[in-house]
Amino acid sequence: MTSSATPLTASSLTQAPPARASGRSRTHVKQDPVTTTILVAVLIVLVMLVLLPLGRVLGEALSADGLAVLSKLASSRTNRSTVLNTLVLGTVVGTIGTLVGFLLAYVQVRVAFRGKRLFHLICLLPVVSPPFAVATASITLFGRNGIISTQLLGQEWNIYGLPGLTLVLSLSFFPVAYMNLVGMLRSLDPAMEEAAASLGASKFTVFRTVTLPMVVPGLGASFLLLFTEAIADLANPLVLGGDYTVLASRAYIAINGEYNIAAGAAYSLVLLVPALLVFLLQRYWSGRSSTVTVTGKPTGSFELLRANVARIPLLAVSVAVLALVVTVYAAVVVGAFVEILGVNNSFTLRHFEYLLSGIGNESMIDTTILALIATPIAGILGMLVAWLVVVRMRRGAAVVDFLGMLGLAVPGTVIGIGYLVTFNRPVALFGVNIIPPLATGSAIAGGAVAIVMVYVARSMPAGQRSGIASLQQIDKAIDEASTSLGASGAQTFRRVTLPLIRPAFLTGLVYAFARSMTTLSPIIFITTPHTKIMTSQILAEVDAGRFGNAFAFCTILILIVMTVIGGLNLLIRGTGAGREPR
Amino acid sequence: MRTFSRYGTALLTAVMAGGLALSGCAGTTDSDSSASGSAEGPITIACGAMEDLCQAWTDKFTEQTGIQATYVRLSSGETVARLASAKDNPEFDVWHGGPVDGYGEAVNQGLIEPYTSPEAEKIPDEYKDPDGNWTGVYIGALGFCSNQSQLDKLGVDTPTSWDDLLDTKLKGQISVAQPSTSGTAFTTLWTQVTRLGGEDAGMEYMKSMHNNVLQYSKSGTAPGQIAGRGEAAVGLVFSHDCVKYQEEGMTDLVVSFPEEGTGYEVGGVALVAGSSHKEAAQAYIDFAISAEGQNVGQTVGSYQVLTNPDADTSDKMANLDDINLIDYDFAAAADAKPDLTARFDEEIAAEPKE
Repeated sequence: MTSSATPLTASSLTQAPPARASGRSRTHVKQDPVTTTILVAVLIVLVMLVLLPLGRVLGEALSADGLAVLSKLASSRTNRSTVLNTLVLGTVVGTIGTLVGFLLAYVQVRVAFRGKRLFHLICLLPVVSPPFAVATASITLFGRNGIISTQLLGQEWNIYGLPGLTLVLSLSFFPVAYMNLVGMLRSLDPAMEEAAASLGASKFTVFRTVTLPMVVPGLGASFLLLFTEAIADLANPLVLGGDYTVLASRAYIAINGEYNIAAGAAYSLVLLVPALLVFLLQRYWSGRSSTVTVTGKPTGSFELLRANVARIPLLAVSVAVLALVVTVYAAVVVGAFVEILGVNNSFTLRHFEYLLSGIGNESMIDTTILALIATPIAGILGMLVAWLVVVRMRRGAAVVDFLGMLGLAVPGTVIGIGYLVTFNRPVALFGVNIIPPLATGSAIAGGAVAIVMVYVARSMPAGQRSGIASLQQIDKAIDEASTSLGASGAQTFRRVTLPLIRPAFLTGLVYAFARSMTTLSPIIFITTPHTKIMTSQILAEVDAGRFGNAFAFCTILILIVMTVIGGLNLLIRGTGAGREPR
Repeated sequence: MRTFSRYGTALLTAVMAGGLALSGCAGTTDSDSSASGSAEGPITIACGAMEDLCQAWTDKFTEQTGIQATYVRLSSGETVARLASAKDNPEFDVWHGGPVDGYGEAVNQGLIEPYTSPEAEKIPDEYKDPDGNWTGVYIGALGFCSNQSQLDKLGVDTPTSWDDLLDTKLKGQISVAQPSTSGTAFTTLWTQVTRLGGEDAGMEYMKSMHNNVLQYSKSGTAPGQIAGRGEAAVGLVFSHDCVKYQEEGMTDLVVSFPEEGTGYEVGGVALVAGSSHKEAAQAYIDFAISAEGQNVGQTVGSYQVLTNPDADTSDKMANLDDINLIDYDFAAAADAKPDLTARFDEEIAAEPKE
């Protein structure tokens, strides 16, 4: 992951939505055929990526079978507890993940200590790893016969159910809050704190009365984001949910256990309601976060916290959290090289042999190639949407923005089911097949197109947000000057806008790749024999209890992601795009 | 700078073109893949066994016949769902492995079609569908997969009876899967129904075991590995899955069987309805039923009892003569499954434990 201060995902996700240019009219938008063409093309792509599958899920959910489930939601005790479980899980993970993320972000930005870069990298580790690396390692470490719980401490903890899910999901998602809040803390204007301090307020009083209120919107946004991520997660509830059934796993059971796609769609529809509410709430909320400086760059710099009375406890807690992260990932790597971690710890290369003997290599290549295809598409699409929304469109900009973000706001399970029901047969419009089958093995390219589409839909919004954030910092006058000098929309975009948003674009690329490689929930429904995807292969190994193979898979996956991100970073340096735009 | 901009524009154009081209290729690809019923394949298997066995089966088949074969490992539920969702243009040609209860559901939905392989003659009648919809390729007996050191710790003898599982010392120590997601767990449930003479009695037994259950896992083989790692004392799985985990290094595991009778699965192979490579698919089924095809399992540590009398036996396989098998009615089980699993989810799985 980039070590730069560039906040990757969430910080950009929580930037203020595009400011509507009040009164100032932008010229030549309607008349410019290139802009119109791009707009139409982008709209078609967005509709295909998200809206169509979503519509089909809705259709399935409102069919007779689906309605039967929906109508039983309140009356059946099992269903009520599933909904309740989901909300509890989202709330708990949202709270803990945000608190941990804030603590680490605060320490990173405001406390003086050595090793900040390492600290940052460890915080980002969960982003580059597949979702259940943490879950599997946690069972081995803290399970009922775990290395730490039982063999070291002699305790018997029950990791299955809510406690385990809380631990694992908080560990997996706190980086989202961390990145979000690091970005926010860095862009706060220190002037207010300085004013408070010079008026005689103590450090703690400044923190409590000035800093904290300024980051409240960021904390709220993080909470909501984590809430959405937590309720949408499928892998962890499947692996260690135990009897704690949540909507995502319930939808999976409905499809895979009860052969009932309509019921699965109905459960995901319920999942969609809180996710969309949270998303809308977040947009409303972040729109009011006016404490962030307009330019995104603070006017001065903060005085770092050096007093040991505050520093030592903060650092101690942070180090404890990071030690946990490191332990979990160490277990993944070590587990890849021993027979059965915790049961038989003798060294072996058996798991790698098993994967490389044919079961794993195909999926490694397929997954990497598909993610590499999706990455530039997602990056460019994100920038295009951002450009349309901020620079080119007046009316309807909010709608396009929302449409783009939908791919991330909608739980992965819902997207996956949507693709399953939408794209496994030709999509017809007025009786004419306009789209051939894209998902499942009998589709063109063996279903690879659908997988790339899912990758794009899931990872494009991050680039869109960072693109919007950086475009908003560019004075409209530059664009107008270019246009009034006779340049077309495309020329303006290529010559003026693109160079200015390149850093945001590259950030979007890095994120898109990491996200694509590690995504599972939507993929699980559409893998085919021709497109084996690593995350779903890992799930199969975990499911069969062969943790060693799963660990080896995770290790390789993390290595691939880090290598590609490293390569992208070199590319950024090579083209000089890592520097601020002139 | 300049080059980058050009590059960017080119990419951008490519994306747009790509997006639009998606609609352009309709029609052309369909005809390529589905027209022929050729013997060449390639064919695709929906495989219900473990990953390495699926791989070994398809490799061996390709080696023998030269027909390309790929597989996706899917649970029974996933297979039925995916067959049902692509009924008109099936992505699979053959379904291999996994208990035939699941095949029953596919028969009910018209997703598989009868094929009587010449090889099937040798297979005893009790292991094949009278209408030829599926043929049994292996048999697995449900057993207790216990972790000896955990049992010792708890001071419990190796269970040899269903009632042994109700011992209060085993509180939270039994791992069993959820019948709605796992064929294995449904066999467990139906075994109680058959053994005790009715659905209510069967449910009653599961209810009385509930307090001893650690968790209802999603996967049917998971209880074996949960016991293998010592997280639970007893896992309820097919005995060959337990042997496989033993082979893979979970040496504390021991297999035992309930004396009052246990259920069993017949793992099947069937032709997917509307397969576009019918001849090749039939060749695969012939292979799957043949002694050579069935012997593949032992090469990757899967010791199911084989249905072909000519196939090799191993002392790692369960000896069906020594085990008391109940009279398992597969058709009745398949019919009862939806309601019974729904009842289980509602009345048992969601109940709090004491």
